[in-house]
Amino acid sequence: MSETLLKVEALEKFFPVKAGIFKRTKGYVKAVNDVSFEVKAKETLSLVGESGCGKSTLGRSILRILEPTGGKVLFNDKNILDYSKQDLRKMRRDMQLVFQDPYSSLNPRMTVRELVSEPLYTHFSISKMEADQRVDEILEKVGLPLEHSKRYPHQFSGGQRQRISIARALVLKPKLVVADEPVSALDVSIQAQILKLLVDLQEEFDLTYLFISHDLNVVKHISDRVGVMYLGKIMELADTEALYEEPLHPYTKALLSAVPTSDPLVKKERIILKGDVPSPTDPPSGCPFHQRCPLAEEKCQNVLPEFVQVRPKHWVACHLVEQ
Amino acid sequence: MAPILQIKDLQIDVKMDEEVLNVVKNINLEIGKREIYGIVGESGSGKSLTSLAIMGLLASPPLQVSKGEIFFEEDKDLLKLSSRELRKIRGNKISMIFQEPMSALDPLFTIEDQLMESLKFHTKLSKKEMKRACVKIIEKVGIPRPEQIMKEYPHQLSGGMRQRIMIAIAMLCNPKLLIADEPTTALDVTIQAQILDLMKELRDDFETSILMITHDLGVIAETCQRVAVMYAGEIVEETDVVSLFHRPKHPYTKGLLKSMVGDRSDALYSIPGKVPSVEQMPKGCRFVTRCPEAMDICEKVSPDDLEVADNHRCKCWLYQKEMANHV
Repeated sequence: MSETLLKVEALEKFFPVKAGIFKRTKGYVKAVNDVSFEVKAKETLSLVGESGCGKSTLGRSILRILEPTGGKVLFNDKNILDYSKQDLRKMRRDMQLVFQDPYSSLNPRMTVRELVSEPLYTHFSISKMEADQRVDEILEKVGLPLEHSKRYPHQFSGGQRQRISIARALVLKPKLVVADEPVSALDVSIQAQILKLLVDLQEEFDLTYLFISHDLNVVKHISDRVGVMYLGKIMELADTEALYEEPLHPYTKALLSAVPTSDPLVKKERIILKGDVPSPTDPPSGCPFHQRCPLAEEKCQNVLPEFVQVRPKHWVACHLVEQ
Repeated sequence: MAPILQIKDLQIDVKMDEEVLNVVKNINLEIGKREIYGIVGESGSGKSLTSLAIMGLLASPPLQVSKGEIFFEEDKDLLKLSSRELRKIRGNKISMIFQEPMSALDPLFTIEDQLMESLKFHTKLSKKEMKRACVKIIEKVGIPRPEQIMKEYPHQLSGGMRQRIMIAIAMLCNPKLLIADEPTTALDVTIQAQILDLMKELRDDFETSILMITHDLGVIAETCQRVAVMYAGEIVEETDVVSLFHRPKHPYTKGLLKSMVGDRSDALYSIPGKVPSVEQMPKGCRFVTRCPEAMDICEKVSPDDLEVADNHRCKCWLYQKEMANHV
């Protein structure tokens, strides 16, 4: 479990904001701002955060679906940001993505078999027979009956479609799977089915997951470690248990307290945050969270806190947390 | 205490070319004054259709209420009112907020226009008085700088702000009943906590009853006093919130509670299969295809909606058999 599969160093993704008739760059949306972390082989690292915190952009930048504007992404110790297009394509066999919305991410004109075999033909020169065999294998693994392989996506429910997306990603036998909100569009009873499937497949294929979600409950269940993002930065990163039992950052505390209880008799101590997430075009000075932070001090307004290790395997970016 | 809203034996059908298919059946519920009543169910369970039927907003045809009564304030059967009478109640005594605040607000009008619209229709206030009422309600829903916000357009506001505006519009005429259809589903958790808090506060200040429609059992546990669990167009269990979470009776409710990911047990539980489609509704109990405790009788005959404990109704053969044995 100690081998590092993916290492992200000071990754940045800035989108230029253009204005005026000459479309001059007026400023930048700092969607991902100086983010560093490591993912070990066969572990599940989750990134949580509210909408607009940059978690999806981060996931896409790592796979170079969006071209990062700075930093390094080391996959098996090689910086994939230096790769040429051809090399990158080869690399992508090992890194696959599962999308949130199983309704828009599958081509409605292709059958299940075509959808799932497409990545095989793209990445390997493979005979039809061989491809068919691999498709059959993976469909069985994700729990889709073989007789459904001639059907089209619209004939399936949301949960079934997500199984197709997962089959599409896993048919290449990747090492790393970036799952971007894979269960958010599904009903509660179906969510659990898909999560269970992801956990089972991880064991079977020795997968490493980078799991992106806004739902703290989902993440708690399947992650080894969890990172909390806010305005393009990771605020806290720790083992799942440590993060949920002893959160250190005020934002993590507020986020956890806002999750509805599953028991009407338990009344939670609730930290209600004021206001909304500030716009990433014009992030606050100092700590990005200081305007909404119930504990903010003067220092927080001016000085950006560093992301430091305060306990074994526990990193926080906050002035108020003592080392 | 007399209920604000009473639904009796409501049935909604959808008329296809040749056949008539049933989508909602045997809905019975009562909402008391100042009560927050929850309806929980997965997508396609008929919870939104039920709320639209109360408002008289069902797309008819093809949908139609084929049976039942909906009494508002004891004596008025909403289903028998003319559309004119209904318009007087809608947005005034009963109002509604929706899941997606962006599509519920008109992008071409300022917040002020949209707030004034319902006041113009339902009250005889002067323009000045109306404006004052708007400012007051915007402050009430926790938005700073009300005068400035009123001049803005919906796209200039964040999701949480828009939902606050929706709530402000709904609360303007001081309704007796507020129907909230997935009010926080499109929002982030920290914003969801703000909005749920606000709704509880408004319930206390305005003495409004709230019908909370959601798929999220967490939202139910946070806010509601009584809950109805819907599955495939029927209420399968109905009771107070504590009994539902601590002494659930129906296998579907039990499954739903167990599959709530999060603080409970470690192993992930999931209900196998999926909700049957309208065309393939089982003949007996509608949950029979996914039920871990299904018996022969469940496939053939639909169980009755029975009181299985004090104030606790459940529609399941497991408890009916028990009853039969007792007699």
